Amino acid sequence: MNGPIKKILVYVDGTEGSITAAQYAVVLSRTLRAELSALYVVNTRALEDLLKARIFIKAEEEEYKRDLEADANRYLNHVQSLARKKGVAIEAVSVSGAVNQEIKKYVRGSDIDLLIIGELSHVRSRRDEFYNEAERAMRSVSCSVLIVKDEDRVWELYDALT
Amino acid sequence: MALVDLIRPEVVKVPLVSTTKSEVIRELVECLRDAGKISDVEAVYDALMKRESMGSTGLEQGIAVPHAKTQAVNSLTVALGLSPKGIDFQAIDGNPSKLFFLLLAPPDQSGPHIEALADIARITKSQAFCRTLIGSTSPAGVVELFSED
Repeated sequence: MNGPIKKILVYVDGTEGSITAAQYAVVLSRTLRAELSALYVVNTRALEDLLKARIFIKAEEEEYKRDLEADANRYLNHVQSLARKKGVAIEAVSVSGAVNQEIKKYVRGSDIDLLIIGELSHVRSRRDEFYNEAERAMRSVSCSVLIVKDEDRVWELYDALT
Repeated sequence: MALVDLIRPEVVKVPLVSTTKSEVIRELVECLRDAGKISDVEAVYDALMKRESMGSTGLEQGIAVPHAKTQAVNSLTVALGLSPKGIDFQAIDGNPSKLFFLLLAPPDQSGPHIEALADIARITKSQAFCRTLIGSTSPAGVVELFSED
């Protein structure tokens, strides 16, 4: 594999934007012949915070953790299917913890050259509380970051891969 | 789609006119219906009341976060209501609730649901911000507080 980008990581959180990001990651991986991984983080940090804030009760924390784990399987299977359809190998990984920290850890541990994420919030806010997890990761990871936009265009690129 | 993208004037009710817990939940659900975000008011209302029956979502400092998973929405859906006089929401500190964040999500989108709830938990740590919010007099004013300009 030549070129500056040898290892790509796409962060998947179940949003439409992250699925579009995964499609674009497949396109880039094929084009650049880069290795591709997909990461889903079961956000157990948020679950703990919600329990501490008493927004969640204990039964809810357990229920939502199961939901997140089921979501991880579902969305990673979907991303694997997207990659398989275009003959791209992909490593799908699910971890638990704080989202931005787990993304940073994976990027560092796997020598990722490029992190791909879905579209961020359209609203700019002064308040740091409104930065979502992907945005936090974007600001703190050690590698370059690509934010995928224009879902229609990405679909065209993905469909065009033979 | 982040929480801040979803707080638009059409899903903000200022001031709420309800005086009881069940009324305020219904008022916010009807606000979502009027905004075109939901069609099945009863399914949504029932899901929220079922969650409340497990334990009130009325927190400290006048904040309440009624929330539920429901098939009646296709994506994360938020309504925000302000009641300057306060409503007895069976809050954990016994005080009336004045700031209501109502969240709904489909059962297969737990990630965004949890992230939005965590955003609310972070927002509501700032008493100054909450006081400013509660003092808002219009939906546009509320939305402006969440954005840069």
